[in-house]
Amino acid sequence: MLVMKNINKIFQTADIQTHALRDFCLQVNEGDFVSVTGPSGSGKTTFLNIAGLLETYSNGEFLLDGEDVGKLNDNGRSRMRNQKIGFIFQGFNLIPDLNLYDNVDVPLRYRGFNGKERKRRIEENLERVGLASRMKHLPSQLSGGQQQRVAIARALATDPRFLLADEPTGNLDSEMAQSVMSLLEDINQQGTTIIMVTHDAQLAQRAKRTIQVKDGRVSELAIVTPHLNQAIA
Amino acid sequence: MFSYYLRLAWISILRHWGLSLLMVCAIGLGIGAAMTTVTVNYLMSADPIPEKSQQLYYVQLDSWDVNDPFDDGLNPPDQLTFTDSSNLMRAKKAFRQNVQAQAFGVIEPNDPEMLPLIVNGRANSADFFPMFNVPFIYGSGWSNESDESKEFVVVLSKETNDKLFGGENSVGKAIKLEGNMFRVVGVIDTWQPKPRFYDISTGAFNDSEDIFVPFHLIADEKISRSGNTNCWKPSGDGFKAFLASECIWTQFWVELKTEQDKADYQQFLNAYVQEQKQFGRFQRPLDNRLSNVMQWLESQEVVADDAQMMMAMSFMFLIVCLLNTVGLLLAKFLGKAPEIGLRQALGASKSTLFSQYIIESACIGILGGVLGLILAYLGLKGVEGLYGDYMKGLASLDANMAIFAVLLALISTILAGLYPTWRACNIQPAQQLKNQ
Repeated sequence: MLVMKNINKIFQTADIQTHALRDFCLQVNEGDFVSVTGPSGSGKTTFLNIAGLLETYSNGEFLLDGEDVGKLNDNGRSRMRNQKIGFIFQGFNLIPDLNLYDNVDVPLRYRGFNGKERKRRIEENLERVGLASRMKHLPSQLSGGQQQRVAIARALATDPRFLLADEPTGNLDSEMAQSVMSLLEDINQQGTTIIMVTHDAQLAQRAKRTIQVKDGRVSELAIVTPHLNQAIA
Repeated sequence: MFSYYLRLAWISILRHWGLSLLMVCAIGLGIGAAMTTVTVNYLMSADPIPEKSQQLYYVQLDSWDVNDPFDDGLNPPDQLTFTDSSNLMRAKKAFRQNVQAQAFGVIEPNDPEMLPLIVNGRANSADFFPMFNVPFIYGSGWSNESDESKEFVVVLSKETNDKLFGGENSVGKAIKLEGNMFRVVGVIDTWQPKPRFYDISTGAFNDSEDIFVPFHLIADEKISRSGNTNCWKPSGDGFKAFLASECIWTQFWVELKTEQDKADYQQFLNAYVQEQKQFGRFQRPLDNRLSNVMQWLESQEVVADDAQMMMAMSFMFLIVCLLNTVGLLLAKFLGKAPEIGLRQALGASKSTLFSQYIIESACIGILGGVLGLILAYLGLKGVEGLYGDYMKGLASLDANMAIFAVLLALISTILAGLYPTWRACNIQPAQQLKNQ
């Protein structure tokens, strides 16, 4: 479970203070699929970076699986990122020098799995995204959609509790985007909590919950579970 | 994880081969220059007889002019008069003692077809051979009895034996040297101490001699002496007057087993000089010295000042090369900022990333070290070509120097890599991931 209470994030430059998040409160339960929408500069990405422990917050309280994130040092934060969080980025962020196998291998190395276990997980997850036959290819030899699938395989390889996706379909055409979205829904069905930042209202509607961020605050909270909508109709 | 980091380093080096090559070249040039001068200095200052350099002492007595001190009074004369070395030999107060001087002569080969052979020689005492651990192929040095009975005996170098006897065992055979027949008692194996510590008065890095004969032959005028001679007052007419003069041209070594032996011998030297003062000699204040091999080489500045200056300059050049490497590493690592940010997102801590990138620096350092070794080898060949025989044998890399070169490159590059690596590890991941 992810709980944020009155989180503030202030970016300080010599002359200006910018409040990226103001008293930001959110609770994400296990198994949720939360889409985060909002205009540019509203604080969506800052929220996602703080949720992913990639950025610190100025004040407030942030509990991840019951652990107070504010009390963790660099090693503790790295460990938690590796064990509990998977990332999917708009730009895929694959390492261009490494083939697909080695790209998926990166978080497993930091986890300290032995060679046999790493091999099993890499093959299993590349199979899951339909790219097992191309594991020796370099990212540059794949289409955008395929690269995003590799990024998903990499994010899933460590069995994370949370999957944080920042505009995962932003660089994909609509067909590819639908395909990736379906894959995320499958992953969520299997129990992984997903928090997805998106501009695409249609894709946002496919999440179980949608929240809107405006001026660094959660301005609206809605449950738009598609199945529930269908039932009401 | 170490093998994983090595693999990543190798991939990164190949991927950015241009930048990597520049760094390897910068380190290689710096190491090459440093190792060339370090090797020359190392070989110049090496202990030529480590097993007993602490037991061999060179003897100096201040027999010089009371009004005009030798070496501005900083050091007593670097050689002894014939009178003093003969007296010290007769006293036999040391475990072993050797008086010596450089000599030369002409050998008339038995084979009438062969041309006469001009040879560099050394006139020395019987103790020379066991004292300096001279290795023999055949026979041995002559005995003290041979010295006392003034026998015409000779020890040949391997090269001379090869020329005269085709490399066969020539012990017991005779050679004609300066018109006299000499009996060969031994043949020395290849022996070239670097520096040639036992006589640095005629060049610390000259070749060892072709033949060795008893010292008394010089006094008996059976062989010609050579080498340096210094006089502070006229030597008089004739060779006998020269032998009795205050001219210095002999070198005297003693072997003393213990510190007590050394103290006793020092006392003996002082007593000897006091005694000589009664004959009007040694008018200067008492300054008799016993220097072990390394002390002697140091006092005679066997490692030239300009060689040390060159070494200092080459290390400065290495620093310049390393500063360039710092810049190149910084460019390379900061160019990898997106990857570093990603690795942090995937669970790499700062310490993990630090290990990864410092290992990459070390790999570049090792490659630079290998290139530096090749350049040092070429540099030493150049030095040898430039200085000829003077640098012969000094311009060669041994295993110690090769290991030192790679270690120097490794440590230098790790030091050069510390700042770029630190900068790389402090990259903010969120910023980098957003920029991709």
